[in-house]
Order: sequence, then C-alpha cells, then structure tokens
Amino acid sequence: MSEIFEDGISRRSVIKGSVAGAGALAVGGLVGGATEAEAAPRSMTVSLGSNQSDPAAVKSDNAWLAAAKAAGFNIKLNRVDHNTFQNQITQYLQGTPDNVFNWFAGYRMQFFAAKGLATPINDVWAKIGSQFTAGYKNASKGLDGKYYFVPTGWYPWAVLYRKSVFAAAGVDASKIITWDDFLGACKVFQAKGLTPIALGDKGGWEAMGTFDIINMRTNGYKFHTDLTGGRVQWTDPRVAKVFANWKQLFPYQSKNPLDMNWDDATKLLLNKTAAMQLMGAFAASIFTDPKDLADLALFPFPQIDPAHGRDAVDAPIDGYMLSTSAAKNASASKALAAFIGSTAYATAISAVNPTQLWANSNMPKPTDPFAKSQVELAQSVKYIAQFFDRDSRPDFASPIFANALQSFLSGKDAASICKDLQNQWDALPPA
Amino acid sequence: MSKTEIETTAAAQGENPGRRRRSNNFTKKDRVVIAGLVGGPTILHVVFVWLPAIATILLSFCQWDGIGGLNNIHWVGFKNYTQIFTLYADFKIALRNNTLWLLWFGAIATPIGVILAYYIDKNLKGTKFYQTAFYLPMVLSLAVTGIIWDYIFKVNGFVNVIFGYTNPNTAPSWFGDPHKNIWVVLGIASWRHIGYMMLLYLAGMKSVDPSLREASAIDGAGEWYTFRKVIFPSLRPVNIIVVVVTVIEALRAFDLVYIINRGKNGLQVLAVAVYENILGESQRIGWGAALATILFVLCLGPIMVYLYQNFKKVD
Repeated sequence: MSEIFEDGISRRSVIKGSVAGAGALAVGGLVGGATEAEAAPRSMTVSLGSNQSDPAAVKSDNAWLAAAKAAGFNIKLNRVDHNTFQNQITQYLQGTPDNVFNWFAGYRMQFFAAKGLATPINDVWAKIGSQFTAGYKNASKGLDGKYYFVPTGWYPWAVLYRKSVFAAAGVDASKIITWDDFLGACKVFQAKGLTPIALGDKGGWEAMGTFDIINMRTNGYKFHTDLTGGRVQWTDPRVAKVFANWKQLFPYQSKNPLDMNWDDATKLLLNKTAAMQLMGAFAASIFTDPKDLADLALFPFPQIDPAHGRDAVDAPIDGYMLSTSAAKNASASKALAAFIGSTAYATAISAVNPTQLWANSNMPKPTDPFAKSQVELAQSVKYIAQFFDRDSRPDFASPIFANALQSFLSGKDAASICKDLQNQWDALPPA
Repeated sequence: MSKTEIETTAAAQGENPGRRRRSNNFTKKDRVVIAGLVGGPTILHVVFVWLPAIATILLSFCQWDGIGGLNNIHWVGFKNYTQIFTLYADFKIALRNNTLWLLWFGAIATPIGVILAYYIDKNLKGTKFYQTAFYLPMVLSLAVTGIIWDYIFKVNGFVNVIFGYTNPNTAPSWFGDPHKNIWVVLGIASWRHIGYMMLLYLAGMKSVDPSLREASAIDGAGEWYTFRKVIFPSLRPVNIIVVVVTVIEALRAFDLVYIINRGKNGLQVLAVAVYENILGESQRIGWGAALATILFVLCLGPIMVYLYQNFKKVD
C-alpha cells in the first residue's frame, strides 16, 4: 500500500510528463499506439467487462470499442451498471470473469492482485511502458512489484462553478485562496438566494471527496494516507478537527444531501440554483450543451492550515485489469490491454469527449479550457491522492465509512461517529 | 424456508380423517411410489435448503474474505456475534427497523386488510372493482414498487413538484431524513401488504359456512360480535398463514429499501446488512453469515412458537 502512497510526488511528475510528452508528439510524430493497433492480428476475440453505464460514459466506451473493432478485435462486451459492477466484483472475479475489465488504481487494485484474482501483465508493459511516466508505472503495480493495471484516464476533484454565476455575484474565483475567502463567497451567494455549495450523497461515496479534501487541507496528505491505512486512530483529535471544519460549511450546503445523488447536485449547478460543487471533474458530463460546458470552470479547494496550503488533491486514475480468465486467452487479452494503453484508445475517446485527461504521455495537450485547468490544478500540487474508497480497505470504505458520513450529514454528533468508526475498524479482520 | 412452512400448513389443512383411514390399504408398489414422491423432494429440500443453512451457521463462527480455498478460514468462535451486538453501528438501526416493520404489519397493515376483506365480502356495490384495485399492487414485485414510489417521493419527484417544491435544496425530503424515512417506507410496504392480506382473508371468509352467520344472527348477535366470536375463529387456518407470512415479509424486507437508497441512512434492514457484507465489493463472509443466522433465528423463533401452539390445540 505504501508504494502507492509514497509515490505521490512522482505521480505529480506523471501528469507534468504527460503534458511535456504532448509536445514530443507534435514534433516526433506517431509513436507506439496506432502502429501497434494496426499490427493486431485480425479477429482476436476478447471478452470485456465494462462498468461504463452512464450515458456519457457509454458514448465514450462505444467510441473506443469501434476503434478496437476496426483494429481487428472481436470484443464480447458485458456492460454492467456502474455501482453494481463494483459491488459484485469479488464474485465476478472468482466466477467466470471477462478477460479484461474496468477497474481503479490504488489499494483497490492491489487488493485483488494480491488475492491472485488478476493476471500480471509485465509483457504488456514491456510494449507500452515508454508511453507512461514513472508515476503511472508505480500506480499500475501490485504489492509484489508486477504490473497488473493499464491506466487510461484520470480526473481531479475540485470546486466546480459556472463563470457566469460568479460574475453575476461579483465573486472572483481566483481570489478564493483561504478558508475565510471561501466562507465569504458562500455568504455572498447565500445573500443572492443561491445554494452556495451543492452536495449530493445519496450514493454514500460522494461525500468522501469532501472529507478527503478537508482532511488533507487540515492535516496534510501524510495524515490522509495514515488514516486510510489505519495507522492513526479515528478518535485522534485531528479527525475531530476535520468534522468541525466541515460543520462550518453546513449552513451553506444543500439541505437534502442524502436525498440527492452527485448528478442531482450537479444539475443544481447547471440550472444555476447552486453556485459551487466539490466534485470530480467528470461531472462535466452533465453539462451536455457546449455553451454550458464553456461556462464551467474549477478552482482548488481553499487552504485551511497554511502549513499545508493547497498542496494536495484527489486525482483518481481509472483503467483496466486482466482477470484470471485472461490466462486462457492470453495473446488476445494482452493485445487488447496494449491497445487500451495506446494512443489509439485515447484518441478515439477524445473525439467524443474532449475534456477527458489521459495517462498516456503521447496524447496531445488538451485544448479544451476546462481540461487544461484540470491539468494545471494537478501540476500545482505536491501530493496526489486517489480517493478514500481507493486508498482504504474495501470492507471499511463502502460498508462502514460511507454510512458514517451519511449519519454526520444528517446531524449525528462527530465524536460518537469517530468512536464508532474506530470500534468498527478494530473489528475488521486482519488485512 | 418460508415456502416449506406454508407447505406444511397447507398439508396440515389438507389432511382429513378419510385419507388417514385409507393409508392402511397401500400396496407395496404404492409405498415405493409414495416413498419416492416424498423422499425425492425431501432430499432436494435438505440439500438446497438445510445444508446451506447449516453451512451458514457454521460460517458465522469464522473470519473469511471469501477468496481462495477453505483453508483461508479462521475460526473465531462467537467473536462475530459479540462484535455485531456491541460495535456494529448499523445493526441497531437495522434491528429497530425490522422490529418496526413487524409491529406495523401486525398491528396496522394486516388489520386493515382484514377490514377490507370483511367489507368486500359483504358484496357491496362495485366490490369486484375494489377487490382488484386493492390487490393490484401485489402483482408488482417489491423492486418495481420501490421504483414507482421512488419517483413519487424522491426530492425532485412527483409529490414535491405537484406541491410546487421544485428546488431540491429546499423541498421536503421524504427519503433523506433518517428519523422519518422508515415511516414513508412502511406506508409504501403496506400499500402492497394490505392487498395481500385482504385476499387471504377474503378467500377464508368465502369458505365460512353461511349457516354460521345465519345462526348467530338468529341468536341475536350483533355484526361486530358475530365477526369477533364466530367468523374470525373459524378463519384459524388463514390466521396461521397470515402470521407466518407477516413475520417473513417483515424480516426479509430488502427490495424496497435497496431500490430507494441501497438500505442506508435510516433505512438499514438486516437483509441488506447480510447482502452488503457477503456480496459487497469486500466480503466478510463470517460477519455476514452471523447476521444471516440472527435473521434466521428471528424468523424461525416466532413462527415455530406460533405453529407449535396452534397444532397442539388441534390435537
């Protein structure tokens, strides 16, 4: 686990690298991906488990599937509802899994690799390795040092807002640096009759983003990794401080967070009833009209403790893994993994989703302003975390911590929540 | 298990003295056939119901993440149980919700079903229409029921929009408040349960000998008195089924809350806790099995006591 955490700094260079690499592409011409794709033998049959079930995600998914088909792959697609896919992953991987499947970097990937439910792909990385920087390489390795993961895209979590709403209220997003600036802006929006901060947490995971960022601003990145890894207690006064700081946002937050999903909250931003939302940048997919999308912008969550400034961000990496069934269909599965790692994959999706950011260094620098601002945000920080449910134990994050955050949002006392959390952490079997 | 209980009851009703007398006249061939007919289902039942049930009880004494072979199982004794009762924050809420569900069904939904059945049985005008209307929800699965009512009560759903609360930030939250949402859900569950109970009682009342009513009317008994002392007691077989069904429906509650908010935030129930721990992204087989065993005991306990007492009276 430590490997993933401690390469935070290098992962930052990953993203820098990917931007620098873009220049190289312009000069050096076509590298890797496309040529490999063309070299793929005709009609290689591979089964693929996809969790890309939201309409926007389906569109992106279909774009690269078409490209893969053109490159000679015969893909048997098994598309499952996003949340259901995650819930059933353990059964799925032990049953008759598809050869290649969608998954996430972080402890969440290393867990299944360590349990022997994934096929190592060092040979794939021998082909695609030159297209990824060291940070992505580390993020794709299991605890045993072998590669198990092909990273595709990433996105940062930041405060999303509409430029027109900020302009109308006379608030300058670039001047929101400190916690007081942030609370001040909230007051302005509230006076204008807007909900300052849209928050939906019906799914249970959404508020983890808010917890993560307030935690990293209050206690720093190291504390985040210690807490998700169980090396500090939930009853630590520093955790209480996180909840206390969050409590200050309650007057400005949506009143019904537990009755709204993340996209319900994003729609409040879209229809201008709310001013800001702390969310993964993928929420841009809700802004389907290009005019609205052009109005969407982001700024980093404000500083709370000057000792930590704004030096960390949640920026999870998505990608693919090979299941144990891939061993029986090794050449085709690995060829598809190499295709997914190539620029051919990314280029196909960029055509339909220009705001997507890529792990592959050879992809051109994004021209879309919203995508650009995401890269800038990631470059401006010292530490990149994955996300609470990707950094922590799966048997803690979703069944225990998500419910605890919901009870906090519905007004339960933070001290008793922290006590419960520690008790439940202690009751977990040894990892 | 629920099915067996009902089958047992049904079999008990089906028995009559005539059959019993004839059983002595079976030929050898008959006996083989009967042994096959009884034995086959029994073996299937033991293999597919009782063995998994016993395995679940055994697994509840272990810690296991469900990955890899059985050699990864660590036996921990009663630790899962003590931790569930002392540490597991959601367990208390789930237990409270299942108890509420049971009480609500027993004290409110089922009696309403009886009342509806009673009036429909009187062949009022349009009785066929009412009968169909009340039973209609039962045709839908609970999952579909959940989807329908979710659209009606969610924060930007039908009810709020009709009453002009179009901003989900300020609209009344039917499912979001963990102190109130269980009551909304109980109302929805009743919508379906009442029709079911009505039909069961209606079937029972149709089979009550009309001469009983006549006799009590001639003896000068009032309507309420007749119902209480004559009709209701003669519905005893139906009552057994109703009690069993009500207990099972209340304790197995799952679909409705899972559709609404995946059984979180005040809508925790035991079945969801079992599901999340055994089938979630991370598996705590032992922990989930212990929850399932608790649920099993809760289900079995009241039903066994009730059935035992009733059949004792018959004998």
